[in-house]
Amino acid sequence: MMFPAGLQFLQRTQNADGGWGAVPDRQSNTEATALAVLALASCPEAKADHVERGLQWLVDLQNADGSWPLHRNTTYGSWTTAPATLALASFDDQRAHAIRGARWLLGHRGRSLGWLASLAYRLVPEKMAVRLDPDLRAWSWTADGFSWVEPTAYALIALKKLGADIGRSAGPHIREAERLLYDRMCSGGGWNHGNSNAYGVAIPPYPETTALALIALQDRQTETPNRASLERLVAMLSEAESGLSLSWAILCFSVRGLDVAVWQRRLVRCYATSGFLGETRVVALALLALSERIGPLRLALR
Amino acid sequence: MKRRDFLLGALATAPTAAVMGGASSLTRWDGVAYRKRHESRVVVSRADSYESPLVERIVEGVRLCGVSVAGRSVLLKPNLVEFDPQGVVNTDPRVVAAAIEAFRRLDAREVTVAEGPGHRRDNEYLLRASGLQSVLDQHRARYVDLNSDDVSALSLPSRFTSLGRLYFPQTVLKADLVVSMPKLKTHHWAGVTLSMKNLFGVIPGSVYGWPKNILHWAGIDESIVDINAALSMPRFAIIDGIVGMEGNGPIQGTPKHAGVLIFGEDPVAVDATAARLMRIDPTRVKHLRVAGDFLGNIDRENIVQAGEPIEALAQDFQVISRFSDLKGTG
Repeated sequence: MMFPAGLQFLQRTQNADGGWGAVPDRQSNTEATALAVLALASCPEAKADHVERGLQWLVDLQNADGSWPLHRNTTYGSWTTAPATLALASFDDQRAHAIRGARWLLGHRGRSLGWLASLAYRLVPEKMAVRLDPDLRAWSWTADGFSWVEPTAYALIALKKLGADIGRSAGPHIREAERLLYDRMCSGGGWNHGNSNAYGVAIPPYPETTALALIALQDRQTETPNRASLERLVAMLSEAESGLSLSWAILCFSVRGLDVAVWQRRLVRCYATSGFLGETRVVALALLALSERIGPLRLALR
Repeated sequence: MKRRDFLLGALATAPTAAVMGGASSLTRWDGVAYRKRHESRVVVSRADSYESPLVERIVEGVRLCGVSVAGRSVLLKPNLVEFDPQGVVNTDPRVVAAAIEAFRRLDAREVTVAEGPGHRRDNEYLLRASGLQSVLDQHRARYVDLNSDDVSALSLPSRFTSLGRLYFPQTVLKADLVVSMPKLKTHHWAGVTLSMKNLFGVIPGSVYGWPKNILHWAGIDESIVDINAALSMPRFAIIDGIVGMEGNGPIQGTPKHAGVLIFGEDPVAVDATAARLMRIDPTRVKHLRVAGDFLGNIDRENIVQAGEPIEALAQDFQVISRFSDLKGTG
């Protein structure tokens, strides 16, 4: 057990309703709860009751249309449907809820920029403020929003995890989302929030979003952009480290079968310094990254 | 990113000009949103470097503006949108440190630093790399990540966007005094980013994402006005113009020394003054022009200027070509 403090943190900070807040003493939210459940389930020392109550909170919050709101204050379907779907897909007895979440995701992709922007991009691409394919659609932070890297990566992992359970109709959406990720990739590899350049100036990638995107694309790991992004991720980690970036990076390396021992030790030291600011999501990801069970994020290779 | 932002200049600006230029008090804001006074006081203080006596400057700025601080909970909202080791993207942590001390010296009941970074979710990295974490530790100041705070929905009392309502962090809504602390910067989509635009950072990312793109789709200038109109608690602004940013701001612009701090209770008047210090005509900045109709004062004759005269400290901040028409003395 490499991270007893993380286990204790999650067990201590679970809200009375069974969920977890973004930080302790905040109302339960879907992303924090989904990741906490995944993390505790990966940890043999965790008490089963915490996982069960967390799962029940997720199930209770699921909307009739299959989506999840961010928390009880916001009832409409949100980007957190993807992490909730991923969490429930990891439990055989909850898979039906996950499939409903996946179906909602497939019916609620982000918007394109529309025909006028599409035309302008084709006629005068050099005059556009940013360079991207305006017609590609994947997943957004908000309903009917533009598509961005993190919600797209989360959704891709969830959908790929469910695989054949969601039917062949998901295939075109998954492939378009993969194309969008490659379209938004930064020059030289890696991803930031989803803008690779503005007014002709390259915008650098972030380690956490690069790792998350690579996890979503793990079944295409032999492709050149993925290899370049992986190298970029290692370079970024040498310059800046944090609980979030190290955790996602370790999970990314792990699904590729790479040795993560050095990074895991750094992650533990990082927690000793900052306590990850008490952020549930980061503690949960760290617990997952320091466990030997990364199954929830491992996808079948094509 | 907004569809309009991708299009050529004429395509980009015409729809917004039509909407905002045609703003009518009968349709665009409720009476509760109107808070324009006859006069607004703005203090311009010379501060040549971050080694200047910043605590004293801020205490003096607050006092000259006549702001009551004693016994109130103060929320400091710096600009921490992103970190670039080569750039000057964020409010300098030394200014934040000085503000914490200044408001404590003025007997604030509590001082909280709060921000909802716009691009990255890695708060641990952003706080440490920007130097803000050291300030928080040294001054034992509480920090709240507004992106993940508990939220409440507010109906918007103005309708420059079609959003209707927005979620706001409860930490912001419960504060007795919200202090917007932006960097003095030009902005490639809004012309300038000052104390009003800085409040994009209070919109919770957990609800609206990273970036808070819904505000871009709704119109950046329009969203700035609607957000500022929605926050009815007492406000104050401290603009870090010791070193600002010109050109392709808010992230990739060029550092520009201006040697100034700007203070005031009226965010419109403060931002108008800051624009003039950058030799930008505030009446040509859309959100300032519209906010000047009902949220605060933009005209020189309604701004009581204290401290240094604008002309003594004004610098010619470069803007991207799309905004070249903003240049002027206003």
